[in-house]
Amino acid sequence: MDRLYSTWKGLAKTMDKQTFLRWASRNAKRIGVKKEQVIKAFEKGMTGQASMDAPFEIPDTMRVNMRYSYGGQSRFFREILENKRLMGTRCNKCGKVFCPPRSHCPHCYEQTEWVELKGTGRLLSYTTVYFATSSYIKQVPYIVAYIKLDDADTAILANVEMKDIKKARVGMKVKVMFRRQRDGRITDIYFKEI
Amino acid sequence: MKRVGIVGIGTTQFRSRWIEKTYFELAFDAVKMALEDAGITKDRIDCVVYGIYNDFFERQFQPDLFVHDYIGMAPKPGIRVSTGGATGGSAISAGYAQVASGLYDICLVVGVEKSADCFDYETGKSSPEVLKAISYTADMTYEQPTGRTAAGSFALTTIAHLEKYGNPTELQMAKVSVKNHNNAILNPVAQSPIALTVDDVMNSPLIAYPFKRYDNCLYSEGAAALILASENIAKTFKKPPVWIKGIGAALDWAVIGNRKDLYSFESSRIAAKKAYNMAGIKEPVKEIDLAELHDAFTGTELIAYEDCFFCNEGEGGRLIDEGIVERDGKLPVNVSGGLIGCGHAVGATGIMQTNEIVLHLRDEAGKRQIKNAKTGLVQSIGGPGAAWTVCIVLGRD
Repeated sequence: MDRLYSTWKGLAKTMDKQTFLRWASRNAKRIGVKKEQVIKAFEKGMTGQASMDAPFEIPDTMRVNMRYSYGGQSRFFREILENKRLMGTRCNKCGKVFCPPRSHCPHCYEQTEWVELKGTGRLLSYTTVYFATSSYIKQVPYIVAYIKLDDADTAILANVEMKDIKKARVGMKVKVMFRRQRDGRITDIYFKEI
Repeated sequence: MKRVGIVGIGTTQFRSRWIEKTYFELAFDAVKMALEDAGITKDRIDCVVYGIYNDFFERQFQPDLFVHDYIGMAPKPGIRVSTGGATGGSAISAGYAQVASGLYDICLVVGVEKSADCFDYETGKSSPEVLKAISYTADMTYEQPTGRTAAGSFALTTIAHLEKYGNPTELQMAKVSVKNHNNAILNPVAQSPIALTVDDVMNSPLIAYPFKRYDNCLYSEGAAALILASENIAKTFKKPPVWIKGIGAALDWAVIGNRKDLYSFESSRIAAKKAYNMAGIKEPVKEIDLAELHDAFTGTELIAYEDCFFCNEGEGGRLIDEGIVERDGKLPVNVSGGLIGCGHAVGATGIMQTNEIVLHLRDEAGKRQIKNAKTGLVQSIGGPGAAWTVCIVLGRD
């Protein structure tokens, strides 16, 4: 740790080293990251700025914890979680089958009913993600594709897993797979080439 | 309906980070420039429309409240518009309606965005956290958890287009990147004015196949403002007005799997058609002198040529190959540098691009002036797979 602060003396204008370390530690705890990460991100700003008028940054976060209800979509996620079944919904009036499911048909404004789907389909389009958000950056590269299921009228966005990711192509036939560990999220399912 | 003129404009520098300014201070700078350009004081403003996209970026929900306060507009009416990347265009559209309806005479439209305060402590970089903040715009129930990024959303369309028409090729996309980065060199507010080669683009790392690093726009921080005035007073300001001749907007299925096709942006085609109808434009390539299109990604700009009816479907690549969209071509596109060269300060972008057209129509664009420009087009798109599009046709007397 001390190596990081070899240039500390004489540069610190707003805080001395001990104050800065205590500050970093308190703030890391407050925003839920590691102390070392706050030190690394802020040591320059805290120690290198010569003027009281220089821009002053603080570590911060915006986070809200939730309990999200799937409402009328609940059965879709429960069937995946408990029964490894892929469901869609069918409009009672026009007969369109939706997957992702909808409780109501957006065309007829009628209630829909649940139908079980075979889980086979083909890729309408795909991309391979090489640079991702901080939540997914450790998983790159991965494929995200729109899949038109054989027995649905809409397409669903999902991950496609394959050994050689460069072999993904439009029109490729795929089938649904259920992860061994399922959380009740859409990522409980993925697709595999058949 | 009254005619509406743009009578004042102001755009701050677009930068990767404005560490020395908050979002409301940046907005202030753009507003001050626009007021000075119009030759009026803030007291003349009747109402304000704010274009601000992402509450996480500003670290403030309803950030419009605090811009309104900071620029001293209390207690005038103010509303905020947020339509993803199309926010700037939508804000102008909302401002237009306020004035064209006769409700107000002078409307200030101000767009601002900060993004690089988002910071991923683990990688020590802004980008992954910026992308995270953007990802919450995707459908949270079915789509966001798959890890599809904004680039991924537009890559999906580009791949579908490639599958159907055999283009855009990676070379055509690279040419767009080179064009827009080069155009930015003459734009003093641009964030990325660099002389790139096609090889530089082709050799840059993949972000979301088929897009590489230089196929992507930049996250920027910046602000842009413009002042709209009704027909009866539009000619009383410091400079001659630039008229809003046509506006078209559409909001397509946001869960893209519900769409009929994936290979074009239906919202863009509808918005362009509506704007052209209103402005009386029948042959866009002949009648439009320059266009600022939403080049969030190179492939998106190429598809936009088709969606704006500059060519038939599937022929977008030809326009860059033939040089039609270059600065000296028949229909220059993104002379400002666009989102790729000038930058993408989301809420400000559409307003920055509109201000660019205004400069050309006033003959004030300096070294990058398109000669005898009389009619310009601005396209703003946003949301997953361009769910939103706003097209604006501008013209001078």
